[in-house]
Amino acid sequence: MRKRIIGLVITVLFVVSIMLVSCGGGEVGTLQFNANGEDFVRQGFISKDGWSIDFAHVYITLADVTACQTAPPYDPHSDNDMKCDVKVSLDKVYTVDLAEGGEDASPILVGEVTNTAVGHYNAISWKMVKATSEPAVGYSLVIVGTAEKDSQSINFSIKVDEEYQYSCGEYVGDKRKGMVEEGGTADVEITFHFDHIFGDIETPMDDGLNVSAVGFECFAGIAEGGRLDVDMAELQSKLSSGDYQMLVDILPTLGHVGEGHCHYH
Amino acid sequence: MHTKWKLITCLILVLIVGLGLPITAFAHGAKIKYTVDMTIELVAAYDNGEPMAGAQFTVYAPDDLFTPWLTGVCDDEGRFSFVPDTSKPGTWDIQVRQAGHGDIVHIPIGEDMVATSGTGGYTAIQIILMAACFIWGSVGTALYFSRRRRA
Repeated sequence: MRKRIIGLVITVLFVVSIMLVSCGGGEVGTLQFNANGEDFVRQGFISKDGWSIDFAHVYITLADVTACQTAPPYDPHSDNDMKCDVKVSLDKVYTVDLAEGGEDASPILVGEVTNTAVGHYNAISWKMVKATSEPAVGYSLVIVGTAEKDSQSINFSIKVDEEYQYSCGEYVGDKRKGMVEEGGTADVEITFHFDHIFGDIETPMDDGLNVSAVGFECFAGIAEGGRLDVDMAELQSKLSSGDYQMLVDILPTLGHVGEGHCHYH
Repeated sequence: MHTKWKLITCLILVLIVGLGLPITAFAHGAKIKYTVDMTIELVAAYDNGEPMAGAQFTVYAPDDLFTPWLTGVCDDEGRFSFVPDTSKPGTWDIQVRQAGHGDIVHIPIGEDMVATSGTGGYTAIQIILMAACFIWGSVGTALYFSRRRRA
């Protein structure tokens, strides 16, 4: 009888401990996914060749947006695939306007996932895909704005139909991101650097950023009557082959995590 | 009672070895002093190889992912170094940023990577005593579990 009681107690303790271990992963919080064109898009900037650029809309379409907890942390500089221990994804295709809001607007909320497991989401991946609905149908990126230099003013709309896939490590910036705590809300950020396309007059001309940027002068050169409305096929036929190739080479490098670079393909 | 004395004797020997009480065994024993330097040096550079001179660096210890453990500025060659607190094992995260460019690296630091100084290991007599204690303890434990129960 005594043996049976001891056996029963041990069994109960075993089952309870298994239950406690299983329930240990029950702590949850909320993870938000933001997209950010930074002050370059919100406030405008001067290109490397002196064009003052203001953006009315920057439509970008995102799919398969996923944040991961990775250990060891994913290194985008390596050739290794991202291996997620915990994965959280947005399940739709999203077209966001990075220029939405005023000069001091917050990054754009793409989506959020509640009841996500706590922990540090130190890697993120997404795709830039062609939108299937307005306002950017058929394009993964549409840049609409005005460029001014001296007495010239050009209203431009540059439409990109290339698709890219990004795999990134941890956000690099003033604050660390992606740490979901019990009952709390954290965010991860998809960042786009548009100075990579147009260059930045405040950065030295021999800096890698300006060396590889195409600038705006080449776009101004193909504008007609103060207007430029082009897609990639038209750019290929109108720009010099050198300028077009620079644009093609630089477009995939737009995606970042804060200041951190991503692996793109 | 016999087992009890075994345990007591063994404990005394362990204490002697563990507390490092001086045991003079060999008149001409050699002693090597050593120091392990756990300094971690990093070099930050742009993709084109240009050093990130004057870039800001931030070090996060594994026990507090939000609060910088150390901040500073890289030298003209993009270099900086620090000595991690090895009582905080885990992944140390180091971020370097300058003019819109940045990167983060993750360095695993284990408890066994102790930055310390000391002498060259145990003496021969300490090793013999420890081995004897281990064997004696193992035999005692085996005998305890293999003893016959009283009818």
